[in-house]
Amino acid sequence: MTLHQVGVEVDESRAAAPRTSRWRRLRPGDWAVRLGAIAVILGVWELFGPTLNKLILRPPSDIVRAFFELIANGELQDAMSQSFRELFGGLGVALVLGLVIGIASGRWRFVYNAIDPLVSALYSVPSVALVPLIAVAFKSIGDPPRIATVALFAIFPILINTQQGVRNVDRQLLEVARSFHTSERRLWTDVIIPSATPYVLAGVRLAIGRGLIGMIVAEFFIGLVGLGYLIIAYENVFRIDRMFVPVIVVATMGILMMGLVQWLEGRIAPWLKKEQ
Amino acid sequence: MSALVARISVERASKRFSSGSVTVFEELDLAVRDREALCILGPSGCGKTTLLRSMHGLVPLDAGRIVIDGAEVRAPRRNVAMVFQHFGLMPWKRVRENVAYGLELAGLPKATVDERVERYIELVGLRGFERSYPNQLSGGMQQRAGLARALAVEPDILLMDEPFGSLDALTREILQDELLRIYQLAPRTMVFITHSIEEAIAMGDRILVLSARPARVRELLQVDIPRPRTVAGVIAHPRFIPLRDHCWRLLRERAA
Repeated sequence: MTLHQVGVEVDESRAAAPRTSRWRRLRPGDWAVRLGAIAVILGVWELFGPTLNKLILRPPSDIVRAFFELIANGELQDAMSQSFRELFGGLGVALVLGLVIGIASGRWRFVYNAIDPLVSALYSVPSVALVPLIAVAFKSIGDPPRIATVALFAIFPILINTQQGVRNVDRQLLEVARSFHTSERRLWTDVIIPSATPYVLAGVRLAIGRGLIGMIVAEFFIGLVGLGYLIIAYENVFRIDRMFVPVIVVATMGILMMGLVQWLEGRIAPWLKKEQ
Repeated sequence: MSALVARISVERASKRFSSGSVTVFEELDLAVRDREALCILGPSGCGKTTLLRSMHGLVPLDAGRIVIDGAEVRAPRRNVAMVFQHFGLMPWKRVRENVAYGLELAGLPKATVDERVERYIELVGLRGFERSYPNQLSGGMQQRAGLARALAVEPDILLMDEPFGSLDALTREILQDELLRIYQLAPRTMVFITHSIEEAIAMGDRILVLSARPARVRELLQVDIPRPRTVAGVIAHPRFIPLRDHCWRLLRERAA
């Protein structure tokens, strides 16, 4: 079996399907269950955590206190502005490159054949393994290597989903468009882009999660700055309460950004949620 | 009876599936007259749809040619519009935008587009649903939109690819009556693909009966039932049963 064949077989499964299920819209009851589950976990942690391991399972109330301490001394704000610069820079690069390469490879066979082996190979390698390479390539100076790391982590879901979205355009609709004498430009605006949009947004949602991982990994490996630095620094002195603060900030960031993308999806792809 | 001028002529047309040696149709000849409704009736999978798509220039022939108004068909022509079995509506466009689609691509001024869209939405009975998305509509309503989209470009030739084939029996008959009514308002050249004998008799001035693959012309029948028609009126007409039995025999002989 050739590498190309492997790539093609993996294609379908690795592209995340657009969300169209009946679980899309959360009802008030769903929110009650979600918040209830979190409250139960925090409650058990607060009450029984310290009795299991006093050092590591610091109660949530301590973490809240640590959160305000880190804000009071300015450490958290500094780390966040550093980290988010990397995160948004990297996601921006991943979005632009992922869209361009994804569209080109979804539309033109030549581009697809040219990049697919490389994409399959890079996507299969754990991205972490490539971080030292990036550090060397950028001589470990400033933000660029960390931005590149975030971009590396985030680009594949966007690229592959965009590619699949463009490739999976309904052939029947392409024929309808030809039947009504479409131009190439109108074919893109009427058919290809709207049909690929849900795939792209699903890819962006996945990219946010991977980008946050890339951000922390980059800060661990390259220069030790930002939220990653806070994690390492407070872990080393066993201030686990303070160590949890950047972890929770990262988690919150992921939830907020994915929620934003989902909200955006409702705005730019309203036909998906209008089912009766 | 309309003029006996051939509007579309299919001349020794042959088509094979590119993947293998399956012959869809071979050396097929037929002529569609100006302003007639020709139904092409044949068993499922006999290549009727491929023939119609060839007439529209959507799939190339392997041999022979198809001529519309004296010019060989190589790509879809401006004065021909198609209605699809799968409706072919864009899920991301509202009914209004779907109906406007062909008009916009034709580059008509906005005022004309708006006027025509309104008129044809009214004609197919979709008033009030202009702002709905296709997935909010029933199959019958979706095909009304598909019909309005094709009619709105005011084509000389209408190609109907089993337009009611995926609808339930009741909706199908309602839409058949609607199409008969609309056709009566502005008769034009129409090629209507179907595998339903009743539908072929109700819609057609003539019926071309095809055999199973490779499709050959079994017989060309005249439907001598006067217009204006309704489906119920056609079925009650004394010529209906003899025509239906005749078609049945033609289709069954081949199958057996």
